[in-house]
Amino acid sequence: MLLICSGCQTKNFLDPYPFWNFKGVTKCANCGKLWRIETSSGTCISGPEAATGTPDLLPGFAEKPDYSPISGAGLTRPAPRARKDSVCKPIPIERNVRGQIVSGHPLKKDDLIGSRPKFIAAHSK
Amino acid sequence: MSNPKVLNWPAIPTLTPDEVYAGLSDQAKNYPLYLEAIVRQEHNFEKPEALARLRVLDCSTRMMIGHWCSSQLAELGAEVIKVEPPGGDPLRKLTPFGRQEYMFKDKETGEEVGGQFLHEMRNKLSVTLNLETEEGREILKKLVVHSDVIIENFPPGQWDAWGIGYRQLREINPRLIYCWVGQRGQWGPLKDKPGMLEPTAQAACGFVHGTGDPKEFGGQPTRSALWMADHVGGTAAAMGILAAVLYRDNVSGEGQFIEATSAEAIIRILDYSWAWYSMDGSIRPRYGNWDLAINIYAVNPCKDGYMMVGGGHDRLWYRIWRTVGDEQPAVEEDVLGDLHLRDVSERLGHDMQVKTYTMLGEWLKDNSRSSAERKLSKQQVASGGVLYVNEVAEYPHFKYRGHVAEYESPHYGKILYGTTPFLQHKTPGRLKWLGRPVGYDNEDVYRRLLGFTREDFARLSKAGVTHEEDEEE
Amino acid sequence: MAKETGSATQTQSFEEFCRETFDFKKAFGKPEALKGYRVLSCTQYILGPSCASYLAELGAEVIKIEAPRRGEAMRHTTPFNEPFLYPLSKWVPERGTGLGFLGANPNEYFISVDFHRPEGQAIVKKLAAKADVVCENYRPGTFERWGIGYRQLKEINPRLVYCWMGGFGGWGPGRVRASYDILGQAQGGNFGMTGKQEMFGGAPSKHTIWLADYWGGMMGAVQCLAALYWRDKVSGEGTFTEYSQVHGVTRQLEYALPLYGKCGITRERWGNWDTQLCVHGIIKCGKSTYPDSQNPQENEEGYILVSAYEDGDFARLCKVVGDGKLAEKYAKAAARLKPEGQMEIYPILEKWAAGKTKEQVAEILDKAGINNQPVWNAKEVANNPHWQQRGAVQWMDDPTYGDLLHQGPAYKMSATPPRMKWAMRPVGADNEYILGKLAGLGPAELRRLEEQETI
Repeated sequence: MLLICSGCQTKNFLDPYPFWNFKGVTKCANCGKLWRIETSSGTCISGPEAATGTPDLLPGFAEKPDYSPISGAGLTRPAPRARKDSVCKPIPIERNVRGQIVSGHPLKKDDLIGSRPKFIAAHSK
Repeated sequence: MSNPKVLNWPAIPTLTPDEVYAGLSDQAKNYPLYLEAIVRQEHNFEKPEALARLRVLDCSTRMMIGHWCSSQLAELGAEVIKVEPPGGDPLRKLTPFGRQEYMFKDKETGEEVGGQFLHEMRNKLSVTLNLETEEGREILKKLVVHSDVIIENFPPGQWDAWGIGYRQLREINPRLIYCWVGQRGQWGPLKDKPGMLEPTAQAACGFVHGTGDPKEFGGQPTRSALWMADHVGGTAAAMGILAAVLYRDNVSGEGQFIEATSAEAIIRILDYSWAWYSMDGSIRPRYGNWDLAINIYAVNPCKDGYMMVGGGHDRLWYRIWRTVGDEQPAVEEDVLGDLHLRDVSERLGHDMQVKTYTMLGEWLKDNSRSSAERKLSKQQVASGGVLYVNEVAEYPHFKYRGHVAEYESPHYGKILYGTTPFLQHKTPGRLKWLGRPVGYDNEDVYRRLLGFTREDFARLSKAGVTHEEDEEE
Repeated sequence: MAKETGSATQTQSFEEFCRETFDFKKAFGKPEALKGYRVLSCTQYILGPSCASYLAELGAEVIKIEAPRRGEAMRHTTPFNEPFLYPLSKWVPERGTGLGFLGANPNEYFISVDFHRPEGQAIVKKLAAKADVVCENYRPGTFERWGIGYRQLKEINPRLVYCWMGGFGGWGPGRVRASYDILGQAQGGNFGMTGKQEMFGGAPSKHTIWLADYWGGMMGAVQCLAALYWRDKVSGEGTFTEYSQVHGVTRQLEYALPLYGKCGITRERWGNWDTQLCVHGIIKCGKSTYPDSQNPQENEEGYILVSAYEDGDFARLCKVVGDGKLAEKYAKAAARLKPEGQMEIYPILEKWAAGKTKEQVAEILDKAGINNQPVWNAKEVANNPHWQQRGAVQWMDDPTYGDLLHQGPAYKMSATPPRMKWAMRPVGADNEYILGKLAGLGPAELRRLEEQETI
C-alpha cells in the first residue's frame, strides 16, 4: 500500500507481503508522524489516522515527492543483505576471497587479447 | 468425517481442437496442428520406445530418488523391475497425516498403498526379495546377469559388505551399470546414515536457507513441500545412466559405477551461490518471492490470491506499467518519471524493488489472477496466478495437452495423475500402468528370467527369501 | 582404464575405493561419454541452455549461439546488481556478464549469429548439417518462420535430434504464453503448496532455485540421451522432442493429484514439517552460530532438520529433550502424524532448542543416534570439506575470468565422468574458430558479417 503522509507528502512504500492484511501503526520515514491503518487484501479499509505511541511495523522504503530516497535504521525496515555493506551497484573486484585474481572489474579495449583479459591470459603462461 | 461427494474428473469438459484454433487462418494453424500430429499422447502406442532393450533393477527403498529415476527410464520404455523387500517398499505405507482413507486399496487383496509411492509406480514390475538373507543375495546375482542397470540406495557400503556391491557385481556382469543414489553420498565426512530422507538434502545444500521470506520480512528458511531434491537427484541419476548406456553400446562394451545424490544435484543448480561467495564473500540471502537479479520478476498478493508477473528488460517493463496505467494512471506516471528506475540494472536494489512491487500492488489489489493475466497478455507480458492442485487439474490448457490424466487401474480403480512430460515425435514416453501390488510379478519374472519351478517358489517363500516368513503365498 | 582384479579391489575399504573412483581431480584422465557428439544451443535464459550444458559436461561439443554484441538476456542479470565478470564481449569490454548467466553454459563454445537475417539462418543450417542435437527454446513456430525449424532442418540432417523446450508447449490454448521459471512453478502447482501453513498466516513460497528451468533442462537432456541412444542403436533417425516446463512441474506433485482425484482434497501448505512422517521437520534453534559476524546472513539464529520418525527414534528424542509425557502420548506414529500431534510436538522441540546453536543441537542429537541436518547457508556449504572433497563445489581456473568457485556436475561416473572445463566465455569469443571450421568462413567474410552485425 502506498501511504502518502499528509504532513510532508512523503511517499511511504508499505510493501505487499507484510502490509497486505495489516492492522496497526506505522511511521512516516521522513517526518516521523505515526499513522494507524487497517488493510484487507491490500486495500486500505480504515485510516490513515494520526496515532500515538510506537510503530508496529516500519515502511519498506520511502521517497520525497522529488524522488529523493529515504531509508535507514529507525526509518525503514532493513534490506536483506549478502554482506556487511550493500551498495546495489557493480563492485569492481580484482582478488577473490582466497586472494587469487578474478576478472571482476571493467576493462578497456587495450586490456584484451581477443576476448580474454590480458592480465588473465598472462597469468596462465 | 463424512465423505464429500467427489465429482468425476474433469468437472468441465476439455476443449476440442476446433474450439482451440477457431478463427485462425490456415497459415496460423499450420504449425500448432503439425505439432499436434506428431506429439499428441493419443498416438503414443503407435510408436516404438527408445529404451525398449534395457532392463533395470530398481532395488531402492524408502526414498523417492531411486523410485523417481527408474520412472524416467520406465516411461521411456525400459523394463523396470522394482525389487522390494517382502511386504513391499516401506514407502508404500506413507500417507498424509496417517490417514488410511487417502490410500488406494487393491480390489482383490485389500492391500493398501499410499499416493506417494503409487504416483511413481509407473510401468514397473514388482518382485519381492529379501536381501538380508544369503540366498536372497544369490538370487539377485542371478537377476543381475540379465540386467543392464541396477539402482540401489542402501546405507553406504552395505551392498559391498554383502558381496553384491559394484566391485563384485561387475565381475558377474561387466556390462552392468550400477547406480547408487542417496542424500549426501557414499563417501566423505558426511556420508549417508541409515534412515536419512528428504529434505535432508535440501537442508544440506543451501536450498532451505535460501528459500522463503527474509528475516526482515518476518520469514524463515523454508523447505519445499515436496521431496524435491530427490526428483532432481533422480533425474540426474537418469542422465548418468543413459550416458553410461550410450558409452557402453557405442564404445567400451562395459558398464560403470554411477553415484547420484540429491544434495549435489541441487548444488549443481544453485546458479550463482558459489561464485558469488568466492568473489567477495557474499552469502546468498533469502528474498521471498522476489528476485535478487531481475525486476520485475516476482509473485505478489493480488485480489484473489497470488500473482506472478515477469518482465526483466525494458520493453516488458514499460508494457507492464502501461497496463497498470489503464487503471492507475498516477502510478504509471510516478514510475515513468522516476530517474532511479530508468536503467535495467538500477532496478535491482532492494529499495527500488520495494517501490516497484508496492506500486504494482496498487493495481494487483483490484485484479484477480485471471483478469490480471488477461490484461497483461494483451501487452505480451508473461504472467499467471499461483494455482492450487484443484485448479491445475481443471486448467483448460493442461487438460487439453494432457498434463493431467486419469488412469483406470485393474487393481485400484481410477487414479488421477501427472503424465510424463517426455513428448516426442518418434519415441515418446508413455504410461502403461500406474500402481502394482507387492510382488505381483514374482511368478512372471522369476520363471522367465531364472527358471524357477513351483518347488523353488514354495521353498523360498517358506524360508523368508521372497516372502515374509509367516506370510501365505 | 586399468582393470582391477577381484582380489586386489577387496583389500581396499569401500570408502577408499569410492573416494578414488570418483575423484574429480582425476576426471581428465578418463574418456568422455559424448565424445564426438555436437550440440547447437540456440537458447536463452535457463531452460534451454542448461539442457545443452548437461551434454557439454559429458564431453559433447556444444556451440552456444547468441545475439551479436549484447549477447543473451541472462548475461544482464546479477544479484543486487553487484557482481559482474568482465568482459561481456570484445566489442563491449567495459560491461560485464552478470552471475545469473553462470552455471547454465559451462564448457561451451560461444558464437554470435543474428537469426533474423538470411545470412545468419544460412550459417545455422550449415552448423545443423553437422550437429547431432539442436536445443532451442524460442517461442513455438519462431524457428520454423526463420526457415530453421524441425521440418526444415530434418531435411538437411535426418539424424538430427531437435529438442524444443518452453513454458507452455507449442500447441493448445496457452501455446502463445511466454513463460518464466517461477511462472511454471506457480501454474504447475508446486509453488502453492510450499511455504508456511495457511492457518498460521503464511503465504506460498517459490523455490529459490530456477527449479522448473534447471531441472527441466535435465529432463530435456534425458530425452536427448534417450533419443540419441535410439538413433545410434536402432533407427538411424533423429526426432523432435517437446518439453513443457509447466508440465514437468505438474509431474512432480507426488500424492497431490491422486489425492485430489480420489477424495476431492486439495493439498495445502504444511510449512517446514512433513505431512507423512513425524518427527521429520525443520525447527528453529534460538542461538546464532556467529553472533559477532558483520554479515547479517550469519547473525540469524540457526535451523535444523530433526528426523526421528520411527517409534524407537522418537522415544530417544523425547529422552534427549527430557519430556516423558510427550514420549508416552505420542509413542505411536499414528498419533504423532495427526496435525494436532505435530502442532504439539514441534513447539516443544523448539522450546528445547531455544538456547542452543544448530551445531550444539546437532552434537546432542548425533550422540543420541538421532538423524539431523543443520540448515546451512551458502558459505557453510562452500566451505564444507564433504562437498569440497567430493567436488560438488570446486575451485576452477577459468581461462577468461580467473579463479572462481564453481558447482561440479550433478552426478558422478567412474569410467566417463562428467567434468567442468570452463565457466563460460564472452559473447562471440569463438566466432573465428567455430565459424571457420564448421561454416567455412574466412577472416574477410567474418569481418564483413561482423560489420553488418549478422554475427
